[in-house]
Amino acid sequence: MNKPIPPSITIQPALLKLLLVIATLLVLPHSQHLNPTFIIAGFALLAWRALTLWFPKTLPHKLLLLPLSIGLALLVLKTFGMSLGRDASSSLLIILMGLKLLESRTARDVQAVIYMCFFVLITPFLFDQRIELALYALIIFFLLLFALILNNTRGLTLKTPPLLRLSGLVLLQAIPLMLVFFLLFPRMIGPLWAMPDNNTAISGLTDTINPGQVSNLALSDETAFRVRFKGTPPEQKDLYWRGPVFWETDGQAWTLTPPRKSAFERAKAIPNNANDYQYTLMMEPHNQFWVYALDLPNKAPNRTRLSHDHQLILDNKLSRNLSFDIRSSTHAKITQLSSDDRSRALLLPNNTDKRVISLAQTWVSSSTNHQQVINKALRFYNDEFYYTLKPPSLGTNPVAEFLFDTKRGFCGHFSTSFATLMRAANIPARLVGGYQGGVYNKVGDFYDVRQADAHVWVEVWLDNSGWTRIDPTAAIAPNRIEHSIDVSQNRQNGDVNFLLTPPEGLGKWVQQLNWILHSVDYHWQNAVLAYGPEKQLDFLSTFGIIDWGDMVIWLSIFSGVILFITLSVLFLLHATPKDTVQTAYLKLCKQLAKKAGARNHHETSSDYFKRINTTHLHSTTELNHLKRLYLTARYGKGQSQTFINAVRRFKLKN
Amino acid sequence: MSLSISQRLSIKRFTRGEPPKHSSIRLNHRRIFILPSKGGLALGSVVLLMLIASINYNNSMGFIFTFLLAAAAQASTFYSYKNLSGLVISMSKTPPLFSGASGHINVLIKETSQRQRWAISIKHQKNSDDFNLQASQNQVVSLPITPTKRGWYTPDTVTLYSQFPLGVFRAWSPLKFNAPILVYPTPVDTGLSTPLKNSKESNAAIASLDSGTDDFAGLKPYQTGHSYRHINWKAFAAEKGLYTNEFSADQSATIWLDWAACAHLSLEAKLSQLCFWVLAAEKNGLIYGLRLATVTIEPSTGLNHQHCCLKALAVYE
Repeated sequence: MNKPIPPSITIQPALLKLLLVIATLLVLPHSQHLNPTFIIAGFALLAWRALTLWFPKTLPHKLLLLPLSIGLALLVLKTFGMSLGRDASSSLLIILMGLKLLESRTARDVQAVIYMCFFVLITPFLFDQRIELALYALIIFFLLLFALILNNTRGLTLKTPPLLRLSGLVLLQAIPLMLVFFLLFPRMIGPLWAMPDNNTAISGLTDTINPGQVSNLALSDETAFRVRFKGTPPEQKDLYWRGPVFWETDGQAWTLTPPRKSAFERAKAIPNNANDYQYTLMMEPHNQFWVYALDLPNKAPNRTRLSHDHQLILDNKLSRNLSFDIRSSTHAKITQLSSDDRSRALLLPNNTDKRVISLAQTWVSSSTNHQQVINKALRFYNDEFYYTLKPPSLGTNPVAEFLFDTKRGFCGHFSTSFATLMRAANIPARLVGGYQGGVYNKVGDFYDVRQADAHVWVEVWLDNSGWTRIDPTAAIAPNRIEHSIDVSQNRQNGDVNFLLTPPEGLGKWVQQLNWILHSVDYHWQNAVLAYGPEKQLDFLSTFGIIDWGDMVIWLSIFSGVILFITLSVLFLLHATPKDTVQTAYLKLCKQLAKKAGARNHHETSSDYFKRINTTHLHSTTELNHLKRLYLTARYGKGQSQTFINAVRRFKLKN
Repeated sequence: MSLSISQRLSIKRFTRGEPPKHSSIRLNHRRIFILPSKGGLALGSVVLLMLIASINYNNSMGFIFTFLLAAAAQASTFYSYKNLSGLVISMSKTPPLFSGASGHINVLIKETSQRQRWAISIKHQKNSDDFNLQASQNQVVSLPITPTKRGWYTPDTVTLYSQFPLGVFRAWSPLKFNAPILVYPTPVDTGLSTPLKNSKESNAAIASLDSGTDDFAGLKPYQTGHSYRHINWKAFAAEKGLYTNEFSADQSATIWLDWAACAHLSLEAKLSQLCFWVLAAEKNGLIYGLRLATVTIEPSTGLNHQHCCLKALAVYE
């Protein structure tokens, strides 16, 4: 089976097919977020290469490929401009991979294609780092290793178990060194160059609130952030995750004014209290400046600042997973209100409908204090309004239309209209965006706060108790606050459903499985994806590694250890296999030497046996038999095991 | 079999191989060297680019797959080594050649470790060959050589190399063997009148050979080295065994191929001419002796004798 290896001018069809499959698998995950033009172009190039398998004449000439490459490169340039962000570079790499594959004719070309494939392999992670995608990429990585091995052994078929096994072994052996580097390679803060792609839609709250906006989120099962409490968590109805605070409205939308410098200077931390809740918050990247802390955060954790209205504001937009250790107090109140803020919180847009103002005035005139006004307003909501995620659409004057005509809506409608009513009643009010509730994962012991839990509520200023949270939604649909929204049910019948009772039977198992999956995801996010500069220092400092110098030293030590282990395995392998026949023979000689004298150095085995035979006549036949076995085992075709067994049984008689 | 420090560190050990000591060499950690190939350097730059991208986007999965690729390349050296180690290489004897004629060196590669070997190349000077080996397979690789100088030709370093498994590292093992090949001078007829016709005795021999009327002297049992032209085929056909015809002329038809006969030629031309004559005389079944300035070979005939004469010419100094 030793055919001469043909000079590999053309690529083996089997290898080419494998490469085409790999390339297709590489382009697929991009189809969700890249410009379809480039996905189609990538697939077209691959299809063309596949065509040449059956029609070799369709393989394009180099003179044709050159203008094609220039054309496609210009297309990338035209679409993305000069900036080489993740969209542009991913598109470019896909195109280049296709072109190179189309151009490939030799083993060296294939080597280059495979290298490019490795690069393309990490590009989907710039968009999404889910665990499924990571496993998917691991399979492709394995296939790429296999392709690389096939290309270098000029293997003729894909069905080569030793080579498949080899790819697996190389992959397994690579893991320890990879882990060492992953843990110890010093991470840098901040990008090396500016990344122009922050425009990709990431779901979550934005810096404007329209009455009808939050409903899109209610159908999204995506995780916004996860929280793990140290100690007992608060009750479900107290889980208000405070985000941006809205002061300004134009009558339709509420827009966020980024806090000014003075807002941070005026911020007052809340002193620690034994009843505070301590927890770790794992944020998913949402490309916004704010962090959702349990209402109210005592003080700002690392990398954030506390504003006077108790928003936690990040120094940079959150573009990667980060975790924060926060301490919050659910009973504390903000008791400061400057005259500036008071007028901000009372400002009504000029286009406010007269009916709104007169409704507010009737409550004011029949009440003695602000609390009574608020109670009347809440009763008004409770009596006449419905909670639905499919409200009728509103026109140019949403607050009045909602309050007097449609009367159906959800938190966005209730809160915006409630805040407007409060301001009309001369009570300072502001809107707070965030999340309410979360699904507790029993397996992982954490709360999974989903986009579906997005919520908007109102804070009003009461002279005796400061800023007080009022949630009009709770007045209408207390279930919304006490239970979480059931997203899958919402999707099915378009109505609001809450996770009221724990499921029974099969549903219980499904829930358990769901918890496990979410737990895995939590750890994935928490341990792997969030392993950035801060987490690395945090983690390594528990081992006494506190700066880059230490990291580099330990990195070298661990890599050295792994290399040393590999080398020692090599040396062990190298040790020449023992000659079992000779060992048995020497053992026999030793045994004979005791009774019949040692073998002289000049004596051959035959001579020695002959000499013993003259003195030990009883054993002659056995000795002769042994000698024959030894000689055939060592020099002839005899079985070495027969000789070894015979030696073991042999006993010299006198 | 230990090396001195200076030998160990000599750069020649990595390119030319250690000085030959044994006829067969088992490849081990001392003989096998591994360095990144060109493809490996290219992969290095790809890894660097991937690393920069991962740093820039602070992308954990990017880091993981970048490091996984680099670590896989590192792990592959293990298999590069395993692919070559344990092979036993020897060079089999090559029959003498004529200078300027092409021949082969034969390298015997024995797989003794029960492992399949992949994509190994072997190179001698500019000639190379590729092969795979099954477990416990022996393989002979012939590589062409064209020695241009008479005398002892020592094959150059034979290098076994392989880029298995990933094409990222090149493992190689330079080997030197002590298996000199005898190279005869190129046979050239300068057109000089043959010495055969210059001596009286040989004149008769030539004449008798030409006319075929020399006296048949009887039969003699065949011995290795007798010219096959003189075998008595009739006796052989009658199954009486191999006999050689003896001619009375033979015994007297001894010719001398004499150094002095071509005195005016240059040394190499002389040797080439003598070489030609030796071949011609053997071909014609003559009994011939060789007389050089320092060596004299008594007249005889047969392939062994021819080899002695040609060897004397080859190594003449």
